[in-house]
Amino acid sequence: MPEHAGAWLLLAALACAQAGMGWLALSLPAHAQQAWGRVPPMATLRLHRVLGWVALACALLLCLGADHATMAVLVWAMAMSGAALAVAFVLSSRPRWLRVLAPWVAGRPAG
Amino acid sequence: MFPSVRQAMAWLHTWFGLVLGFVLMAAFFFGALSVFDREIDRWAIPATRIQAQPMPSYERVLRPAFERMQPTRQAIDAMRPRVDGPMPERYDTVGSWSAYTTHRDPVLQLFAGYVVPNARHAGELVWAEATIDPRDGRLLPDDRLKVGSGFFFPMHYGLTLDWKHLGIWIVGLSALVMLAALASGVVMHRRIFREFFTFRPGRARLRSVLDLHNLTGVVALPFHFFFALTGLLIFAAVYYFPLGHTQLHGLHDLNAQVEASETGLPHERAGRPGGLANVDAMVADAQRRWADDGKAGDVGFLVLQHVGDANGYVSVYRAGTDRIALVGDGIHYKAATGELIREDPAATPVARMAEFLTGLHLQHFRHWLLRWLYVLGGLAGAVCIATGFVFFVEKRKRQHAKDGRQGARVVDALAVAAVTGMVLAALGILVANRLLPEDLPGRADWERWAFWGTWIAALLHAAWRSAPVARALPNPAWREQAIAIGVLALAAVLLNWITTGDHLLRTLATGYWPVAGVDLSLLAVAAIAGASALRLARRHAAHAAGPAYAADAEARHA
Repeated sequence: MPEHAGAWLLLAALACAQAGMGWLALSLPAHAQQAWGRVPPMATLRLHRVLGWVALACALLLCLGADHATMAVLVWAMAMSGAALAVAFVLSSRPRWLRVLAPWVAGRPAG
Repeated sequence: MFPSVRQAMAWLHTWFGLVLGFVLMAAFFFGALSVFDREIDRWAIPATRIQAQPMPSYERVLRPAFERMQPTRQAIDAMRPRVDGPMPERYDTVGSWSAYTTHRDPVLQLFAGYVVPNARHAGELVWAEATIDPRDGRLLPDDRLKVGSGFFFPMHYGLTLDWKHLGIWIVGLSALVMLAALASGVVMHRRIFREFFTFRPGRARLRSVLDLHNLTGVVALPFHFFFALTGLLIFAAVYYFPLGHTQLHGLHDLNAQVEASETGLPHERAGRPGGLANVDAMVADAQRRWADDGKAGDVGFLVLQHVGDANGYVSVYRAGTDRIALVGDGIHYKAATGELIREDPAATPVARMAEFLTGLHLQHFRHWLLRWLYVLGGLAGAVCIATGFVFFVEKRKRQHAKDGRQGARVVDALAVAAVTGMVLAALGILVANRLLPEDLPGRADWERWAFWGTWIAALLHAAWRSAPVARALPNPAWREQAIAIGVLALAAVLLNWITTGDHLLRTLATGYWPVAGVDLSLLAVAAIAGASALRLARRHAAHAAGPAYAADAEARHA
């Protein structure tokens, strides 16, 4: 496989891990409150949880596509750690950025 | 003794964490630096700033370089007590020649072992080492301190305390305690999943510090756990089974491994002269065999055993760049004829697990993303411990101030030295590396002294400035040392430019990432340190303006 194809796969894996962690955060009422200023309905939170896990699974598949399986598992685990840290820092300073992940939730203009 | 398990765990976590946290801080911080040890070496030794090279041709480059080698006077003198009778001046009977490289090494390490007549332990060799430019075999200076692989890496696993391996035992004990601290931390933490993403810098100081401690501990928990565990496994392997030793200390032990394993490879010299077939052909054959097995790769380690003897053989080991497991896939040839003797068999499942766990920690693989993620994990660990210290101090300092006790003050000063002081010391050795004259005798020692001197100065400064802690105020040393970090990091980048001409525009334009990466990281450190100093200054001003205003500022902050 050409080197740059692997790089694109890994970039996609990082994006999936990031989105997945973001959705998982948005499935928790406290963080959804931070992002929108109100808690969306339960069904929406559940949707975010499912999306989150699916995105993390996609990240694993992309990692497996890029590298030998033993390496892919490590890249995946570390990418999830990094993504979780990033989500935590976004939540602590610019929580509304997470709205990008769920355009289907109408937010209050002034949180 | 304790009313509940949770309280027992809290006691264990607090006190074990406090005592060994200082060691763990060093293990995490210098571990994170060691991920890029080879790149730091390039920065520190400008003569070696060339692109990484594959193993060069034996016939064209290696053989002439090997033939020029001889043991140093020091090596001969060190061997003298283990020899009966006088020792010769020249050594011509070669026990082994070997060359080692990785995908990140532009320079090639050569090792030569010579048979010593009348050695007390038959088979003990006197060793010579050399570093060459793999493109033309030119000898490179070997007496420069490899700041990354020769200093930060030993700091990581043994604090450079060599005496009776004391440092390695201390770090090993700390790793064991860390596993206990992780387990007890998980028990203490009531809301791991509910507060998984939680960091509230706006809340009270105590709460926000604890948030950051939990966050950096929990999200990187698999990293912390596996690195403490595999670190311990590697120590165990180093001390009980020399097999694992090879990847850490190169040749001495690999030799032992080769001798120890029952491979059918001749252990002793035959005593009859033997020829040497074309080694490059053997290397090409080994690479073809790896490719046929679906693991095409470069040569990492090439060994010629019993050179010039009828029992001589050549071993070719693969560089493990494309997988985690640290494997050699060695292939061995008869030196005289070049015919295949044996291929190392596939490892058993247990051995494969061990190879995976060792490789996970030692990272011989080629994967820049994963390397950076490891740096992130290591720094997350360092932040976790640093915030643990700060939490300890913050929780107690008001009470201690009321009681007139100095405990919080002492811990705070030590914490300053362990956090900002450690960064300062690492910057101190880099600055000294660029400032000291190139031909200074004992230059490597001066660099080490610069490291320890900076660190001690940081500790003294922290202790000297710590009086406010006894009045429940912050120690100004945090802010002052953050400023010093910013200044030293910028100075290191500038000095690199002035002394070598390799400024960032040039290294980036030519794509020389080892040096550009170190410079960029130094600039990032300077930026973070500057921002932290500003933040701390604002908080300090708030405290100076009075407690009521301080509380207000903290509430408004961030």
